[in-house]
Amino acid sequence: MRAYLWFVAKRALQLLAIVFVGISASFFISHLSPINPVEQTLGRITTRSNISPEAIASLRAALTDMYGVDEPLWNRFVNFWVRFVQGDMGPSLIAFPTPAMTLIQRALPWTVGLLSVTVVITWLVGNLLGGLAGYYQNNRLLKAFGVLAMGVQPIPYYIVAFILLIVFGFVWPVLPISGGFAMNVRPGWTPEFVASVIRHAILPATSIVLVGMGLWFLGMRALVSNIITEDYVTYAELAGVKRSRIVGSYVIRNAMIPQLTALAMTLGGVFSGTVITEQVFSYPGLGTLLVDAVNGGDYGLVVAVTSVAIIAVAVAIFVVDLIYPILDPRIRVE
Amino acid sequence: MAKLKACLLAISLVVACQIALAQDEEPEAPPLQELPREQTLILQNPEGTIRNPGWFNLWVSGAGGGLSTGLQQLMMDTFWYIDPNQGIDGPNYNSLATGPAEYNDDYTEMTVRLREGVYWSDGVEFTADDVVYTVETQMNTPGMGWSGAFSQQVERVEALDDYTVRFTLNAPNSRFHSIFSVRWNGAWIMPKHIFEEVDNVLEYDFNPPVGLGPYTLHSFDPNGDWYIWEKREDWDRTAMAEFGEPAPQYVIYRNGGPTDRRLIEMRNGNLDVVHDLTPEGMFAIVQQDPTARGWFSGFPYAHPDPTLPMVIFNHQNEKFQDRRVRWALTLMLDARALSMASYRGAATLTAIAIPPTGTHPDDYHIPMQEWVSNFTLEAGGQAFQPYNPDLTLQIADMVRGQFGDQVPTDEDEIRRAFGYGWWEQNLEAAAALLEEAGFTRRGNDWYMPNGERFSIRVMIPPDGVINRLGTMIAQNWSQAGVAAQVEAAPDSWDRQSVGDFEVNIAWSIETWGGHPDLSFFLDSWHSQYLAEPGELQPARNWQRWSHPELDRIIEEVRRTDFYDLEANIELGKQFIQLMVEEMPVIPIMSYNVFSVVSERYWTGYPTAENPYANPVNNWANSRYILTQLESTQ
Repeated sequence: MRAYLWFVAKRALQLLAIVFVGISASFFISHLSPINPVEQTLGRITTRSNISPEAIASLRAALTDMYGVDEPLWNRFVNFWVRFVQGDMGPSLIAFPTPAMTLIQRALPWTVGLLSVTVVITWLVGNLLGGLAGYYQNNRLLKAFGVLAMGVQPIPYYIVAFILLIVFGFVWPVLPISGGFAMNVRPGWTPEFVASVIRHAILPATSIVLVGMGLWFLGMRALVSNIITEDYVTYAELAGVKRSRIVGSYVIRNAMIPQLTALAMTLGGVFSGTVITEQVFSYPGLGTLLVDAVNGGDYGLVVAVTSVAIIAVAVAIFVVDLIYPILDPRIRVE
Repeated sequence: MAKLKACLLAISLVVACQIALAQDEEPEAPPLQELPREQTLILQNPEGTIRNPGWFNLWVSGAGGGLSTGLQQLMMDTFWYIDPNQGIDGPNYNSLATGPAEYNDDYTEMTVRLREGVYWSDGVEFTADDVVYTVETQMNTPGMGWSGAFSQQVERVEALDDYTVRFTLNAPNSRFHSIFSVRWNGAWIMPKHIFEEVDNVLEYDFNPPVGLGPYTLHSFDPNGDWYIWEKREDWDRTAMAEFGEPAPQYVIYRNGGPTDRRLIEMRNGNLDVVHDLTPEGMFAIVQQDPTARGWFSGFPYAHPDPTLPMVIFNHQNEKFQDRRVRWALTLMLDARALSMASYRGAATLTAIAIPPTGTHPDDYHIPMQEWVSNFTLEAGGQAFQPYNPDLTLQIADMVRGQFGDQVPTDEDEIRRAFGYGWWEQNLEAAAALLEEAGFTRRGNDWYMPNGERFSIRVMIPPDGVINRLGTMIAQNWSQAGVAAQVEAAPDSWDRQSVGDFEVNIAWSIETWGGHPDLSFFLDSWHSQYLAEPGELQPARNWQRWSHPELDRIIEEVRRTDFYDLEANIELGKQFIQLMVEEMPVIPIMSYNVFSVVSERYWTGYPTAENPYANPVNNWANSRYILTQLESTQ
């Protein structure tokens, strides 16, 4: 037990180090951007108005002071970490003076909701079918699914999304093609709202599932194809163990370890959003927020979004590391 | 399996709770059945998703709230509006003012008489105190949109009585009133009785907004994708009432998404007005939806915006300081190819430095035809006239094969739609001009007087019609022996501002459209504002060009009454002649906006046949369109 606790402590320290390095890197990379947020804001203001050059100079001075971009990079870095540990990521420039964290809190549920459900469904169904296809290699239905998976897999995601949009929004317009919920529904914990959210999620979710499932399917099928050549599977079959028990308890279970790791990392990645899905379907999540932040030169918001993603992925890997010994008795902490 | 079901149910509940909780603090949306379609106008908001949707304090700079959500069109108001087209009763609207600005003789005082009987949407009467408060608050609060303009120019603002305001200026300025003149934006009047109760106006979201326009906020999407506005019961106590009752009871501004989604939403009846499309999108929607139409009922469909896409030379680069070089590069261009590449022929070309839109064809393009036709250049010891007035007729013929009856046949109609001509491509004359400027040709390649290859980096935006235009310009130059390289830059506007370019394809000329005065863009072209290389150039002299004659014209404009149209047009003509002779930028065409309307639920939109307003629905003057609409249901 002491060895396990020591292992946990070491991994926790590693986690903190990874988070610190990752977030610091995103801070420096984004702050090296040539886009000047003050000039960006000034551009928005002056393009469509007739402010005099003197007035622009005055406004520039006010904005520079307001955004603090005239401070040395090192000062900004220290201030950033002081605020970060207090949960304050500063104001967003594209939505000034709204805090960046408020924007993230607004977008996060949509992305996490859409992606966590689709990732879990995709993972469960893809692995189950992949496992069965790997074991029952002569089953026609599973063979056909394999062909379908291999056919869909190389198609770029945005093509699949676009086809769905055209088919169900234009040719046979039965599903909403944009937004998180309808204009006619009151946001809140009501059946109408939940139904509208689900209805609006069908097309983006389907596009993710269609593309993602094939990957899990093919990966699992390949893993199982190797495992069924192992001696213990042969012995189980010779001993007359039921095939359903062999495939469920011996084969798929043993093939799940790498798939579980990948699932954890994918779930961690959920917090960085899915840019293309959200752009195609105007889904109000983190991906759209990130694109807006990049386009608007809002590096504070870029760092905030990437920080959430870095923490999520790092924690997901940390948790997987901790539960490995529980999932796989062959793994021991020395 | 039971565990799996339980797991999925738990995940769904958690997600639904998260989303529901995230929305709790936001206002509620109504059921759509309370918004009957025949009383509801749905427009695309070109700003897309609004990042700070609950922010309506549009006096604070860069706060992330949207203006094109209907806020500046339907709720806000100020003294005057200018339409880039003809207007309902002329392009100049007196909104909160009862008449034009009254200046004293030396333009150091401006008096404005205010309309009586106008009320804020919360029932408080609008008076001169609101105006004084607006100006003084912004003068005293750096960071607000007009604080710099007011603090620099205004010495004192005072209410002479409840309905008269006088501004005393720090220096003579015959264009001070343009701060309060709106096409898209202007110095909106603040409700004093609301803001004087606020501790810090820079942090106040102004939610729900209180306005002087005929609509109030009904509800909005907490994710920033749609806004619903409802007509005020007392709409007749707003300045808009003079022009009629707005027809729709509800107006919705919603995010239209990419081009394909806008097309689908209009075809499915979920959008009445699309702000802008690609040329291909435009051609597709008129085929798919018989109720859809553009500004012109046929080809080229698009509305010419009062902006002028052009070749912008960086005059602080030695390559472009010789007028003969700039003219040689002009004569290397094939306007037919530029039109086809950018707009697939649906471009409105202009050879002079004024966009061919609004009243400008009548003010400038038609009257200047004779002068520009007679304009003579000398190259290789021979004089020639580079202008070709029939070039746009040729383009109309070129597209007639594909679009047939959609293309006008009447010459006057063709010129209105396709432009009044352009410079004929003349590679021999271009070569002669370059040789006179000391350039040499080896094979087909040009070399500068210093012996280096004549190369040009052409900066273009990463996509859109301007990207296509710039690519074709570089191709024309390349074919003529100039080593032109295209550089697609997402931040081209930022780089242009600091002079980090050789040639940029963008615009530095943007006019009122409905008024011949050029001060809107021209005043900042004065050499007094010229920035050093690498420093930020104040808008809009991004070519960084200065000329004594240009300064003289600008100074004349500053001393000329805004409402003296004849004098303004004369000064405008002098500017155009100087621009043709010097060619500091190469004007190409207006920025044609493929703004599409569906007449399924509403008719009466402005069109080329009835051009009473700019059809681009995010411009604030588009509010007057609402008084002209009729329901079809």
